[in-house]
Amino acid sequence: MTDTHGTSQNIKPPVIWDLPLRLFHWSMVAVVITAAITGYFFEEWWLDVHVYAGYALTCLLMFRLIWGFVGSFYSRFHTFPLSPIAVLNHLKDLLKGKSETHTGHNPVGAWMIVVLLTTLILLVVTGFVVWGGQENNGPLASVVGYQVGEGGEDIHEVLAGILMAAIGIHVLGVLIETVIFKHPLIKAMITGRKEGVPPTGKIVSVWHSLAGVLILIGVGAAFSYWITSTAQTPLAMSSNTTYQQECGDCHPAYHPSLRTQHDWQEIMSNLSDHYGEDASLDDSSHREITTYLNTQDAFSFDTEVAHKIGRYDTSSLRMTDTRYWQKKHDELDDDEFNHPSIGSKVNCNACHKDADSGRFDDDQIKLPKGIHL
Amino acid sequence: MKKFIGLTAVVTAIAMTSPVYSSGFLDEYANQAQQENASFNGFSVERGKALYLTKHATGKAETPACTSCHTNSPTQSGNTRAGKTIAPLAVSASPDRYTDKRKVEKWFRRNCNSVLGRACSATEKGDFITFMLTQ
Repeated sequence: MTDTHGTSQNIKPPVIWDLPLRLFHWSMVAVVITAAITGYFFEEWWLDVHVYAGYALTCLLMFRLIWGFVGSFYSRFHTFPLSPIAVLNHLKDLLKGKSETHTGHNPVGAWMIVVLLTTLILLVVTGFVVWGGQENNGPLASVVGYQVGEGGEDIHEVLAGILMAAIGIHVLGVLIETVIFKHPLIKAMITGRKEGVPPTGKIVSVWHSLAGVLILIGVGAAFSYWITSTAQTPLAMSSNTTYQQECGDCHPAYHPSLRTQHDWQEIMSNLSDHYGEDASLDDSSHREITTYLNTQDAFSFDTEVAHKIGRYDTSSLRMTDTRYWQKKHDELDDDEFNHPSIGSKVNCNACHKDADSGRFDDDQIKLPKGIHL
Repeated sequence: MKKFIGLTAVVTAIAMTSPVYSSGFLDEYANQAQQENASFNGFSVERGKALYLTKHATGKAETPACTSCHTNSPTQSGNTRAGKTIAPLAVSASPDRYTDKRKVEKWFRRNCNSVLGRACSATEKGDFITFMLTQ
């Protein structure tokens, strides 16, 4: 039953890395690759996948932190050879072209793990800040403001760069150990057994596997409880039926956060020539809508779209003339905007399924049939 | 025989719907038209059709004709320049058209100005609705 080495059996090397640790390691590889690809190359379109990878990463990291205290011997943090003297000696050895066999991590490798775990934890934390602040999503949506989220994104990107460098050094170190010094580290991380290591006397049993699974389930349950109990807050907008009806007949009734009070005023005072059409209103509707748009505009909302588009006045008063709008839509040309399934540039709802709410979440963009980028 | 029944059904339908409308504000338009023009003698489907299909180009450049947004066929859905669907203008396709006076007046006010560059006369409004009732 037990997955341990027998003292009398010298054929099989001892198990150093318990099963939960190995599964953690390779799951991390898969999740980090997913997060890196979606983050670097498909930031907008695959943000939801990126976030799910981040959620998985959070659970894995929480598991690893717990496992560092309750896992089998070599998984525990207190067994890491982190003393500066040990590191110095190991580096000296490396310069002389040799590397001693270490049963667990070697000193440089142990520091590598510390760096990797720290960077990953910070990445996850800043990820939540960006997700909550900038995108108004996830558990921190109601806690973090837009500006903080935007700052968090810069830090998140720097950390991602550090992580990529750390992973590079980590892989390079493992390859050097494996190829030059003939320590089969990769094989050890697959089988758990490290060749060329004397019996350790430290038991790695099936109970570790069981405990590992239970901890991971516990962590996952606690995490999903946290995520669901802090479900996103809807944006506050008192709806106005007159506004919806009168303006929504010809174009979507744009969320008030899309323009400044100044631009709304200008639009309302020139309705008889509204972008080439007479859109005049009777007095009472006009008064009601003007009041409505005066009490809430882009400065009343803390969303990405309010900050990046709504708060910029344009001489045409059009939101489509803001730099950010144009940058975000530069992959679409006029033919696509005029396609029957979209109709025009100002028909936000054709692709932004949540445009009415003013959220404009990245994962709510669904290109209609016939539109390709 | 089938054709005959079909035709009878259409005629009956028109005969049944028309009074409902003419008893409404179409009568008001007729009264107004009388006041505007003493020689007025009833609305005309033909004039309504011409008003609808003609490319006037006397209003705003973006909207030279009704058909710019409403298409050449009143039974078809149209599209606003912003891309929203407009329900057909023909009563046969949109039964609740021309029942809300406030709405009708609003759109005549806006669209006559957009397309013709002026307000529509009561005769034009009546002709237009009369044409749409037959579609």
